Formats: sequence, C-alpha cells, structure tokens
Amino acid sequence: MQNNNPLAPHLQIYRWQISSLLSITHRIVGVINILAISLICFWSISLLMGETNYKMTEFFLNSFFGKFLVISLCWSFSFHILNEIRHLAWDLGYGYDLKTSKITGLIVIIGSIILGISIFVVGKYII
Amino acid sequence: MVQFNLPQNSKILKGDYYKDKTNSNNLKKINIYRWDPSSGKNPRVDTFEVDMDNCGPKVLDILFKIKNEIDPSLTFRRSCAHGVCGSCAMNVDGVNTLSCIKSHTDIKGDLNIYPLPHLKVIKDLIGDLSGLYKQYESIQPWLQTSQTGQEKKEITQSQKDRSKLDGYYECILCACCSTACPSYWWNGDKYLGPAVLLQAYRWINDSRDAEKKQRLKKVADELKLYRCHTIMNCTNSCPKGLNPAKAIGSIKKMLATT
Repeated sequence: MQNNNPLAPHLQIYRWQISSLLSITHRIVGVINILAISLICFWSISLLMGETNYKMTEFFLNSFFGKFLVISLCWSFSFHILNEIRHLAWDLGYGYDLKTSKITGLIVIIGSIILGISIFVVGKYII
Repeated sequence: MVQFNLPQNSKILKGDYYKDKTNSNNLKKINIYRWDPSSGKNPRVDTFEVDMDNCGPKVLDILFKIKNEIDPSLTFRRSCAHGVCGSCAMNVDGVNTLSCIKSHTDIKGDLNIYPLPHLKVIKDLIGDLSGLYKQYESIQPWLQTSQTGQEKKEITQSQKDRSKLDGYYECILCACCSTACPSYWWNGDKYLGPAVLLQAYRWINDSRDAEKKQRLKKVADELKLYRCHTIMNCTNSCPKGLNPAKAIGSIKKMLATT
C-alpha cells in the first residue's frame, strides 16, 4: 500500500448520534469534575485559614460568574453520576438495545438538568 | 494516535460541478468524494445534478446512474445489490451504511457520499480494508474442535445452543461498524474494532467450539478489547440491524465472571 494515499474523512463528516455525543461529553465532564474537586479542596483549606478568606470565597460565589460556575458544576456532577449509572448497567449486560440506549441517553440529558438545578436550589435555599 | 485533522495530502478540495443536461424538474444534488491515484492531486468533492424522475429508489441506483450517464470514471465496490455481500458499504449522509439498501427518498436536501471513514482511500469510494481482514484472521474465525478426525461422528448442536448465535452469525463483514467507531479511528492498528470483536464473540459463543478459553484469553487485552467505551456508533450504523456493542459487552462480562 502506497503511503501517499489519502485518509478518508472521519470526524469531519460523521453525523453525531445521541450515544456518541453523550460519550464524549462524559469524558470532558469527567475531567472538569476532577478539576472542580481540587478547587473545592482548595476552598475548604482556605476556609480553615480564617474569616477573611471565608468572606472572599462568599463574595466570589455570590458574583454572577460564581453562581454560573456553581450551577454548571451541579450539572456536571449530576450528568456524570447519571451517565455512570448507564455505564454500570451496560457492564451488567443491560440496556444495549438501540432503542433502550436512546431512551436512557435522553433520560440522562433531561435528568441531569433537573437534578443539577434541584441540587443547586436545595443547597442554596433549603439547607 | 489521536489526530483530529486530516493530513495535508487528504485535505478535501472543491471539485467539479456536473450540470444537469436532461432538463428535468426533479433534480437532486449529489456530492461525492473523489480521488484519483494517477492524478497526484488532493481528493475533491464533485457535485452531480441527477434527474430523480428516472432513477431507482436506492443510493446505489444513483451511483449507477451517474456512472452510466454522467461520469464513467466514478469508482465504487458493489456486487449483490440487495444487502447480502457487504461490498457497497460507504458513508451516506453522515452515517455508514450499505448503499444498496439505503433509500435516498428519506434523505432531504443534498446527498453526501464519502468512503468509509478513516481508511486509506484506494480510489474514489473504495477504502483499503486489508488491516481489518488481518485482524479478522487473527481471531481464527473457524471451528476448532478437540476431535482428531478418527471419530467419524458429527458434532451436534441443540436448537437452544444454536439460537445463541442469532444476531451474530448474520454479520456480513461490511465494516460499517468498525469504521464508524472513533476508538477504531484512533487505535485501529491495535484495537480490534466492533466487526472483528462481534465475530470473536460468535466463535466464543459457539457450543461446538473447543477453544473457548483460549479465544477469550487471546482477546482479553487492554488495547484489543477494552478500547471499546460503549460509544455505540457501531450499533447505530449496522445495516443488518445487529448489535456489536452488545457482543463486546458480553465478552467483557464473560471475562469478568469467569
């Protein structure tokens, strides 16, 4: 086989499926979650260092960007948890049918938004 | 290696435009990937205006019409034309399928036809599948028994055991699934891919085969098997309605439980 043969286009032309979209989102969100956990650890440590640090964190979290960040992280954790349940079901041998996997995929998308918002609301206004 | 962009010699150029000469009112624009090894140029996408009033219902009919009436140099593989041989696998409208059983009437707008993704192109719509065939050979896709040949006795199989092969023996190795898999795009040299793993499962699952343990051991490899991340592009694209993702999941489960 000559080496100058071109490579057929792949990512550029392949149509996104719900399943492939969820799969790549799962990976990206996983990386974001690891970063978020380290960030939360830093915040916890900074709280131990006194009240001024606490005030600073509080100010940041109440800013527009802070709120956006918190809601996004609520969503990203919910998404990862729900999609991981899907992966566990697959590992047990369930849910491989095309129809089932599409339905569970949609449940993950909608469920993660609902769960993310409810975690934020519960954390902010009820506890 | 993960490489998201196409290499320099594979960048797609704008191709020729073949205007309709039949004065038909029912035209469809067909964009087809072209590459001629003798030209020494980059691949291009040609656009053909095709008269849909005088064309069969399948995507393969369009390709034949173009080859017969517009551009005889258009090159593609085909043989049986009813979804049994698996020769005419290509990327139609963004998803891999057999062009001979794909109806073009449910595709709205322009029709895009590309070769199977991430293969070395031999010409136009023909990709080089020799790597996949080598991997297929590596799983030894034939019945291996403990018989010596002196027994002169048939190896029988119960109906129940036979039914375990349903959904797996039907695979025609068209390679739609493997070339739809992003994992196979990035690690195609080591990861076996859905088509070959489905075949591997078919032999592991055959009650007449005596080498089940050996087969499982052979396939249990970080790269050969576990590069499957259940993206499920394979199952989404299979033109025969089979489920390679489930076959791979079953192999993983077998390895985890035995």
